This record gives sequence, structure tokens and C-alpha cells, in this order.
Amino acid sequence: MNNKKQGGSGTLMKVGLASLLMTVGAHNVLAGEEVSGGSLFGDMQTVTQDLLDRAAGDSNNFLHTNANYEQTRFYPAQQVNRENVHNLERAWTFKMDVVDSLETTPIVINGTMFVTSSFNHVYALDAKTGKQKWHYEHEMGLITTYCCGPNNRGVAALDDMVYMGTLDARLVALDAKTGKKMWDVEIADPELGYSETMSPTIVNGKVLIGTNGGEYGIRGFVKAFDAKTGALLWTFHSIPEDSTGVWAENDATGLYMHRDIKAEKAALKKLGDPYKTLGGGVWQNMAIDRDANRAYFVVGNPSPDLYGAVRPGDNLYTNSLVAVDLDSGEKICHFQYIAHDVWDLDAVSPPILVPVKNEDGQTVKGVLHGGKTGYVYVHNASDCSLIRYSEPMVMQRDRWVLPTKEGASMLPGANGGVEWSPMATDPSQGLVYAANIHQPMTYHVEETPYPGGKLWLGGAFKVITDQQQWGNITAVDYNTGKIKWKVKTHQPMIGGVLATAGGLVFAGEGNGLFKAYNSTSGELMWQDQTEAGVNAPPASYNVDGEQYVVVGSGGNAQMNYTRGNEIIAYKLNKK
Amino acid sequence: MITSKSLLLMLTALMIFSNEVIAEAERAAPEASAEIGEQDKYASIRENLKTCFTCHGDNGQSKLGTFPILAGQEFYYMYVQLKDMKTGLRESQVMGPIVANIEKADLKLLAMFFSEQKWPETSYEINAKQSARGQRVIDEGGCTACHLATLKGNSRIPRLANQHPEYLKNTMHDFRNEVRNNAPAMASLLKTYTDEDIDAIANYLGSFKE
Ligand code: HEC
Ligand code: HEC
Repeated sequence: MNNKKQGGSGTLMKVGLASLLMTVGAHNVLAGEEVSGGSLFGDMQTVTQDLLDRAAGDSNNFLHTNANYEQTRFYPAQQVNRENVHNLERAWTFKMDVVDSLETTPIVINGTMFVTSSFNHVYALDAKTGKQKWHYEHEMGLITTYCCGPNNRGVAALDDMVYMGTLDARLVALDAKTGKKMWDVEIADPELGYSETMSPTIVNGKVLIGTNGGEYGIRGFVKAFDAKTGALLWTFHSIPEDSTGVWAENDATGLYMHRDIKAEKAALKKLGDPYKTLGGGVWQNMAIDRDANRAYFVVGNPSPDLYGAVRPGDNLYTNSLVAVDLDSGEKICHFQYIAHDVWDLDAVSPPILVPVKNEDGQTVKGVLHGGKTGYVYVHNASDCSLIRYSEPMVMQRDRWVLPTKEGASMLPGANGGVEWSPMATDPSQGLVYAANIHQPMTYHVEETPYPGGKLWLGGAFKVITDQQQWGNITAVDYNTGKIKWKVKTHQPMIGGVLATAGGLVFAGEGNGLFKAYNSTSGELMWQDQTEAGVNAPPASYNVDGEQYVVVGSGGNAQMNYTRGNEIIAYKLNKK
Repeated sequence: MITSKSLLLMLTALMIFSNEVIAEAERAAPEASAEIGEQDKYASIRENLKTCFTCHGDNGQSKLGTFPILAGQEFYYMYVQLKDMKTGLRESQVMGPIVANIEKADLKLLAMFFSEQKWPETSYEINAKQSARGQRVIDEGGCTACHLATLKGNSRIPRLANQHPEYLKNTMHDFRNEVRNNAPAMASLLKTYTDEDIDAIANYLGSFKE
């Protein structure tokens, strides 16, 4: 923890090949090996709070999973742009040890990249060459409980440490220079259904992390840990002890949800408040408003997913946008999209903080969220209230028909719309870019009591296999809610988007294609065929005056896209 | 309930093989206790293991279709199954009485022991057409989201790849018929499949090699 660097970055660059080879020979470059005076391939720059704060304007580093505290996924570098993107070529490819679902976002600090794979491996790479500096493999506990693949979405950094949440629900702090584990604390009990796949968010010396488990009857939370010691500082329960709410009959778009509120009220009397096993995972990063000292995040589905009779009420704060105070973890405001959800159309994709026009045309602090419903929701950040929602980005059919025993069909299917895939924005154009899924499903309900930490769906979701599936990238004008452009893809989209000041939007597909679009028109400008599904959010950075775009090609468990293990970095071929 | 057909099969199998199998188990026993001398963490279950081997084969490398392979199966999955068979949540006329008198701590050790063994080479008679259909059903059914792309499972999710097709078929029917009630989500999902689908799935899973 007190690994203060010795000397400036210059001294360490001069280590030289001979001593480097010696070090390699002597120590086999194992994780946890201390390298005298810094790292093997140069120095790491300490990640200060100031650096984290200024990430939105930093065109060298990529310091947050979603680019900056506002989570705009807008990268300010423009070296790679519409004029030259056709010259984008592979700079290097790094193969990780685990071939499985890949949802990681690499972060890059002063030429060093930190990237994770399924089953919680962490790699530090030279961002210029893709050469490995160290590799850390988490020693997994025997009990893990996760849904939808053994994913990990990346690390967060502060000072000389990087932090990762694990499938066995622990928070691990590593020395960024060596990969040596500094400490490791339990976040929650994996036997009860808790697990971690999100990358943490770090602010003011606090490591913020939520939890998975909405499919297991957990009680969701966001916890804040002390970045130095791992001590728990506060817990926000995403399910309050009174979870009943206002008995809302319509969803956020005003559509009737067919709730039997009389029956629910009777059940509430009989069963009491279901808060202890109500789910409500928070499994994507929070947007941070540094001025207002708030965190904004979305809360996932209630448990069990499809069977609502055992959980009467609105099931607060499932399927909601929530803001909490960063010092205390206390709730400031919330907005629920779907009360008493029985379709698993939960709020997942990370919220974005941008200035938006309100109903009166005034610019206010806004929050954007892309729903599994296929709508972009635009909120007023001050009180979480809804300003507007967009035109639907995917086909809607029979929305909110209730699940049945035999299976009721409804569009969108339970994966969305917008799944966990982070959206990107281009504030100069007032556009937000969302990766969408069209996947027809039937929703089956079955009476199911709490199975004690086991998978608890209360029925089944089934893809209708003889109906076509597809995806799209949709650009929405968040000041009007109108769709500016939409590009259809062959397969449902999962993985996320990056926009850049070069006028480009990057996104990958399940068939292994990684593409760049013109961010104003949606015109396809470049693509590369990789060997596995590109279902991880892209990132970008700069080393020695060259801009790189990097993405994971490892497929996806949930959508069953071809698995792989590659991290691929691209840069311009200057010839 | 175990179907009368499979129970009959099992009893026959026991009668035919028991002598030989038990003899083999005894031969295997010293090897299985190789750790004695240091400190045998399995000391308390050595006797139990001999019983297990009679049906599940030496070290759990079962050769008989109705007895699932335990060698190399996931620890936590097996521990949960043993607990559930004890409480009856997973109803098993054969396993129920066997685990009834074993303490939880020993159930844990039994699961640990088998999880540390090597999954055996297998070679089943596979119907190619059914197997091809099974692959489609599994691809479309999203089974790999939980059982992983290799279908080898992890922690509480069992390995399915090259498990005995006959056992897999039996247990999938038990899920559907609410005999196996310890995994409601698996049961709800399998209820949406036909008998032919289940035959096809079992065939495909049997086509995997080590
Ligand atoms: C008389 C034969 C017999 C004996 C002896 C026996 N088993 Fe079994 N076991 C079975 C059968 C048959 C099944 C499948 C039961 C079912 O699905 O209802 C089974 C299932 C299991 C399972 C579940 C496997 C899975 O993939 O779900 C485990 C674990 C298991 N046995 C462990 C043991 C252990 C440990 C012992 C020894 C203490 C043991 N068995 C002794 C016949 C036997
Ligand atoms: C959402 C996660 C999930 C999905 C999807 C899923 N399974 Fe499972 N499956 C499980 C879990 C968990 C268990 C273990 C349940 C228990 O604890 O008894 C299991 C158990 C099984 C078993 C019992 C194995 C044994 O050794 O007894 C079979 C067979 C099986 N699954 C087949 C399938 C098939 C076929 C599909 C696709 C149609 C599928 N599963 C999809 C989670 C899943």
C-alpha cells in the first residue's frame, strides 16, 4: 500500500535490455515478484484523484471502465478520424489464458494496460507492444454463484493499486507494479447468490461496488470500501425494508402493466414485505457527479424474475435509477421504470451524466439510461425525474402481456433492447449511441418458493428459435428523444460502444466483426474480422504520440457467441 | 421416483457386477488411501467410499449408464446434491437411504474426494442424427450460459459433457416430473422441451470426448 515510487519515470525507462533479460531469467516474470525500483517495462504513473477527475479531457490514458466519471464513453483524441480510419490496423494481439466470455474494458495508465478475463485473471501489459508485465490469477473459492457467464468487466485504479471484484464475491487489491495481492476482503456470501462481475468505481479514497444476484434471491446493495485498507465504510441497500412503493399501474412510458393490485395487497398482508430476498442487483458502474458528491446507478430486476405473486408491491428500488450521497451512501432520489417487473426487463446499462435540455428548453444536468425496453430515458439529475424517453429503438409487440405457464410471447425479449452494454455519447452532437438486441422470447411462469440461494427464476425464458434475431446501433438525440440514425446488424448486439472526437463510433458484434461508424450518419467506415465474438466495450489511449483503439474478442456466454481469448489493439498504418 | 425400469436395471447391474465391483473396490482401496501416513483427510469416509464405488465405479469413474460419473464432477455441485438427497428435495430411492446416516461434514468430504478424481475416458453409442439435433437444442437453449461453452460446469453448475447419456436422460425426466425438485429453474426450463428433445440432448452430451 505504501509503494511510493522511487525516482521519476525517466530513470526507470533506462533499465535496459540486459538487466531486463536478467530479471526475466532470474524471476520468470511471475506475478507477485517485486522488481527493484519499478516495473519491468517502465514506470506506472500513480493514479491520483486529480487524474481520475480530469479523465474526460485526457487523451493519453483510459482511466475508467466507462472512460470518465460521467460515463460518457466519449474519447477526446482525434488522431484516428473519419479521414484515416480506413488505415486502422492491428498493432498487437494478446492472448489470455482463459478462453471464455469476455466483457472486460481495458484501462490504460501512462502506457500500461490493465485487463481482465473470465474467472478473474488480471494482466498488466505494455500498451504499446502488448507484452505482458505481470499476470495475476485469483485463487477462486470453491463456491461461486453467478448467472450468465464467468465474466469480469475490468479493474479500477487509484494510487499504485488496482482493484477487482471476483466471482466468489471478494474485493481484491493488487500492487499495480507487480500484481502482488495487497489485501482481499469478502463483499458478501457467495453461497447465498452474491458474485461480482462489474469493475469497481473509485472516488475520494472509496472503492464502490454493487453485486450480482438478481437471479438468486439476494438483497442487493452498493458498498463503499476504504481503498487503503479494504474496511467497509457504508452500505446502501438497493432494496429498502419497505419495498411496496406507490402501486404503480403503468411503466415509465405510460403503458399499462396488467398488475393485479388487489391480489398483491392481499399477499402483502399475508406474506409481509419481501425485501430480504427481493434481488435488485447493481452490477454496472455508477456515474459520479463530483460537484454534487453523488453516485447515480441503476438497480436490476426483482427475484424471482418471472413469478411476482411472492413479492407483492412495486419492489423498490428494482428497475430504478437511484442517486446516493457519496459520503454517507444515503439515498437522494430514485425513479422506477417498471414497478413489479415479471419480465426481467431490468435497468442495467450504466447511466451517463450529460447536460440535457429540459421540457422548457433550458439546459440542466441530465442522466441518460438505455433500457432493456429499448428506450433511452432522459432524467433531470437533481431529482431523478424523467424529462423524456426516446422513440423505441427496437420492435415492440404485446408489451406487458403477463407470463403464462405455456409461455407468452412479447417483444422485447428479456435480454433487451439495451442489455448491460454501456452506451456512448457525443455531447457536441447531442447524441447517445446504444447497442440493441432484437430477440423474440416466450415468458413462462411457474410457482416457485425461495430455493435457498439457488437459481430462482420462477419460470423460464425461451428464445423463439424459428423467429429471426438481429441487433442495431441506434443514435438518439437526447435533447428531443428522436432517433437520428439506426444501423441494423445481423446478430443481437451485446458489448457496448465507444465514441471518439474523431467523429467515430466503435462497436463489435457476435460474429467477430469490430466496426467503426461515422458518428453523425451511421455510415460504416471500417471493420476488422476477429476470431471470436467482439462483445466487450472498446477503449482508446495514446502512447508515444500514437492513438490506439483496443477491444476484447472473446465471445459471450449469455448470447452464446464464439468464445476466444484475445485483446486486440489497433493503430493507424502510416505508410 | 425412480422409474421401475431403471430401478430394475440398477438391481440387475448390482447383482451381476457387485462381487466383481466390490473386489475391485477393495483392490483400489489402498491406492485411494495413499495419503495415509501424512494425515488422511479422508479417514472418516474411507468406509463410505467403498460403498460408493460399488455403484459409481472405482474412484467414481462409473462405467454403468444409470450411475452418474462422479470423478471430476464439481465439488460444490455434488455437495449440494448430497445434502438435497438427504432432505429429500432431490428424491432418490437409491441415494436417499445411503446419505441418510452420513453427517454433513462427511458429505462435504465425499464431494471433495470425488471432485479431485479424474473424469474417465468414455465411449458411448451415439445416434448421430439425434446428436446433431441435440447440439441445435443446446445452442438455441442457452445451456452454455450456465454450463459454460465446454459444458464442463463450474462450482454449483454440474459438468454435463460426456456424462452417461442414460443417467442424463433419467435426471432430465426427473426434473420434468418433479421428482428432482432441487433446481426449480432447471426444471421449469426442461418442462418446455419434448421427450425427443431430451433424447437428443442426452445423445449430444454423450458425444463429447475427454
Ligand atoms: C446402490 C447404488 C449406489 C450407491 C451405493 C451410491 N450411489 Fe450415488 N447414485 C446412484 C444413483 C442411481 C444415482 C442417480 C440418482 C438419481 O438421479 O435419483 C446417484 C447419484 C449420485 C450423485 C448425484 C450425481 C449427479 O450428477 O447429480 C452423487 C453426488 C452421488 N450419487 C454420490 C454418492 C456417494 C458419495 C456415494 C457413497 C456414499 C454413493 N453415491 C453411493 C447410485 C448409488
Ligand atoms: C440459468 C442457468 C442454467 C441454464 C441456462 C441451464 N442450466 Fe442446467 N443446471 C443448472 C444448475 C444450477 C444445475 C444444478 C442444479 C442443482 O443444484 O441441482 C443444473 C443441472 C443440470 C442437469 C443435471 C446434471 C446432473 O449431473 O444431474 C442437467 C442434465 C442440465 N442441467 C441440463 C441443462 C440443459 C440441457 C440446459 C439447456 C436446455 C441447461 N441445463 C440450462 C443451471 C442451468
